[in-house]
Amino acid sequence: MTSHVGRLYALAIAILVFFLTWTAVAARPWATTAQADPRLTALAAREQRVRTESAAVSRIVHQRWAVYQRQLKSRQVQIAAANRAQVLAAAAPSVRVVTLPPLTITRTS
Amino acid sequence: MQRRAFRAMGTEIELFVDTASGDTALVEAEAEFHRLESLLSRFRDTSELSRLNRDGEIDGSPDLVQVTELALQARERTGGRFDPTVHEALVGAGYDRSFELLPAEGGESRAARCGGTVTVCGHHIELEPGFKLDLGGIGKGYAAEQAATVLAAAGPCLVNAGGDVAVRAGAWPVGVQTSTGTLTLELSSGALATSGRDRRRWRRDGRELHHLIDPATGTSADGDLLRVTVVGNDAIEAEIWAKALFLAGAGAAEAEANALGLPCVIVATDGRTTTAGGLQ
Repeated sequence: MTSHVGRLYALAIAILVFFLTWTAVAARPWATTAQADPRLTALAAREQRVRTESAAVSRIVHQRWAVYQRQLKSRQVQIAAANRAQVLAAAAPSVRVVTLPPLTITRTS
Repeated sequence: MQRRAFRAMGTEIELFVDTASGDTALVEAEAEFHRLESLLSRFRDTSELSRLNRDGEIDGSPDLVQVTELALQARERTGGRFDPTVHEALVGAGYDRSFELLPAEGGESRAARCGGTVTVCGHHIELEPGFKLDLGGIGKGYAAEQAATVLAAAGPCLVNAGGDVAVRAGAWPVGVQTSTGTLTLELSSGALATSGRDRRRWRRDGRELHHLIDPATGTSADGDLLRVTVVGNDAIEAEIWAKALFLAGAGAAEAEANALGLPCVIVATDGRTTTAGGLQ
């Protein structure tokens, strides 16, 4: 090819091919086609699932603990009331008027 | 017989135990009074009761919860004559500080609404806005019972918390003031308490006021009674009914005491002294 114009066309086409090849290589198409390790994927999914389940269990435990605490306190009050009732039942007041000098005096409190 | 006297809850406390080795029990019983005062006093800023009154709600100790529940049950049983929500009425009447610090004369007094809603759920206590609790009387009865339980481990005992008397075993002669002298009751179990207008009095606007608030009027009770002493299963019960019968007035108090079988001594302002409820 001796034509000057022909050589310019050939040079332009060579530069174009060079840049296209550069772009193709820079895009690293082989990297995107590589498959992730299925064991790592499964492990990540399992970790996510365990985290979710752990949060749910923790929430349930907290709820049950709060309910238990409320019931325990309520029960303690009931037991105290029952104990008091039992003491009262066992100790009905016994009183009579006497002519002894008093040991102590009750007055308006 | 051993005796210990001290001041707590704004009044004189006497402890008797019929044993020669009651020193430790006496000290523990006194400590119980101070412990309960630190929880139930409305005059101590740091008490649980003051915190409840300030904040309107609290997760209270078992003692505060129990006394509050007992007071609310008493309000039901007495038709509102015993009411723990008289705090604002007491303050309105001028009883806004420990009685020893209260000026005998003062300016205005005002009535205040009583009968506020108090919600107790487990250990959580919540007050209706605008209402506060006064557990002074019932707190003393409760403390007398708790101290008597402590003392009873050492032997037969009597606790006198400024008129609220609790006994365990033994036979204890207790004087009751009448218009003419002293009537002696021998108490071998149970308790007795006295409520009246003859002490804890002061003047506001030239009018004599006292610490027994009638929840119906929100101010110091008017009536024809000077003092009522009631014998009950325990000091709390006796305290509640002493106040309720005082507010009922002479005729109604006697009839109610007979109907309920509450042994009592009723002293009227005209000097008449009556026994009722089976007390001979």
